Amino acid sequence: MADVLAEGYNVFDTGKSPSGTVKYLESPADVIGLIQSGKLGEHILLVQGGTTTFLAPALSMGAIGVITMSGAPESHLGILSREFQTPCVMTAYLTTSDSRYVVGSTDPSHFEEIAKVLDGRKVRLDCTDNEVGRIVADD
Amino acid sequence: MTTTEGKRATYKQRYETDDDGLRFQSLTYTGNFVGLEPVTDGIKGDKMLKERARSKVLEKVSKDDVLNPQFSIDELNDLNNYLAWNIWDVLVMRATEGVSGMIPRQEYEILAFMHEFYRWPEILRMTTDEVGAQGILDIGASARREIGTKVNSVHDWCIGAVGFGMGRCGLLALEAIGPDDYVAESNEILKFMQRVLWGKRQDGYILNSQDRYRCQIHEQDFLDQLVGQIETLEPGSPKHGSFTQFNAATELLAFLHHYDNRLGLGDTGPYELPDGNLLILRDLFVNEEIYHWSDVSEDAGLPYSYTLAMIIDPEKMSLEEIRVNDISTTFTRPKNYIEAIIGGAVFARQKWDTPMGEVYPIAIDDLGDHLPRVQQATLKLYTKTSKMCRRDLIWNGQYVYYVDMILPHLRKAGTYEKACRDYDLWEIDQRVSNYYYDITKRGFAQETVPSKIFSGAGYLPFSDKANLRSSKGRWL
Repeated sequence: MADVLAEGYNVFDTGKSPSGTVKYLESPADVIGLIQSGKLGEHILLVQGGTTTFLAPALSMGAIGVITMSGAPESHLGILSREFQTPCVMTAYLTTSDSRYVVGSTDPSHFEEIAKVLDGRKVRLDCTDNEVGRIVADD
Repeated sequence: MTTTEGKRATYKQRYETDDDGLRFQSLTYTGNFVGLEPVTDGIKGDKMLKERARSKVLEKVSKDDVLNPQFSIDELNDLNNYLAWNIWDVLVMRATEGVSGMIPRQEYEILAFMHEFYRWPEILRMTTDEVGAQGILDIGASARREIGTKVNSVHDWCIGAVGFGMGRCGLLALEAIGPDDYVAESNEILKFMQRVLWGKRQDGYILNSQDRYRCQIHEQDFLDQLVGQIETLEPGSPKHGSFTQFNAATELLAFLHHYDNRLGLGDTGPYELPDGNLLILRDLFVNEEIYHWSDVSEDAGLPYSYTLAMIIDPEKMSLEEIRVNDISTTFTRPKNYIEAIIGGAVFARQKWDTPMGEVYPIAIDDLGDHLPRVQQATLKLYTKTSKMCRRDLIWNGQYVYYVDMILPHLRKAGTYEKACRDYDLWEIDQRVSNYYYDITKRGFAQETVPSKIFSGAGYLPFSDKANLRSSKGRWL
């Protein structure tokens, strides 16, 4: 059984199971830089928010997989991930931590902890379940 | 398909009288119904709200009812409760999305809500005075023979749900108004909404949720012309990929163009075709000329809107429920309908007022000319937006809500220019301008808005003492 690092809402069920190194994107400059690097296809993208605009060019240019730390399939990023058929796990939480996202009152340390654990890890997204998306270690 | 192979589609059961629909979320709604059984999402929730209404305003209503100049207090409260539930139904999960990292949406949203509640009533009254109550019904009815029109679910719903519902709720939460203030103005907004929506649907209902999440508004002969342009799409084929990729990329630009909100997207349907497949019509607005940032779309040579006609095979995805909700968005169970698309067509409308006879089809094999331009506009707009300061982003977003939500109706009425010229539509009311400094204090935008507005907890009813003629008599 592969090591499940994190879980969250599965935006849509799909047999696609993209694998790549997690890249934490903190600012629009990070997004633009990644696209200009030509290495977009090598990474699973990790972002804090569940909104569309922040990741817009990455989605448009072919992101292979997305992890968010807030939001749901009904959020705009969820809707667009479905339309692009880009596997996406939203409001991901670490399976080794009790910390959970709460709307409007989540301490920044929650996001920092997830970014610290996942950023740079080689992972695979398992989005076969109707409801739960899993981030599985792939290194 | 991953998990539904071999199962039959059951979605038609959702249209049987006794069926309560599926639950799309585990949360329940309380709102003003404290002490009563919590209300669910979906078809069952709609039934519960209708059962708890004190008036008949949530049932099918007649044209005479709609032409009546105002609602009673009971009707206002029933609409307030229903809209609060409907807002929760479509937005409570979306609203978990947190910070954007790009556009401060919670901040611009709350400012726009309050601005609309203050400013729209006199502009909507002026518009009704100009074209008459029947004229407002006719604006709604125009959507029955058009594509690429913003007279659509989300815009029409926003008049009441956002301008009245969220605006009043936000001002109540800010303690800027009391529950019995602005009764006359509330009536003005809700009457305008009811007339547009009733004129559009013409089945007696006003909202899609009242009709088991169907928005089947187009005339049959008009639909037939569109369906005649459909091309067959084999799932997994390059042509299918071109169509779905174009749908996604264009929808993304429509979101970005409208500052990450739903005003760029308009679904209608589902329309059942003779062969049992379902048609969804999707308008995507990518070049709205009133926005100064539309220059990137203009430079890319993009039309005002693209419309995608999508044919979904319900058996292929073992469809259990399909909702075209009141913010013009389609959700299904199972969630992934993209692989069940078996046919499609694309149309372009050059300007918002281009006659339907001049709307032109784009062959799916020719989308390769359009997709790169959509992507180019997306990247340029993203780069442009990323350089804007926070204040510009907030007020730009505020304008997208406050102007765009009533823009299509004012345009159709011919009162948009008058609203700009004589009513200073593009000015910021001094009260709302001052709120700019309050909304980030004590987590108002980040915490109060989700907890009061999207949860439905802050939609206080008008009291028995409320007077239909009341505005706000005193600032104490």
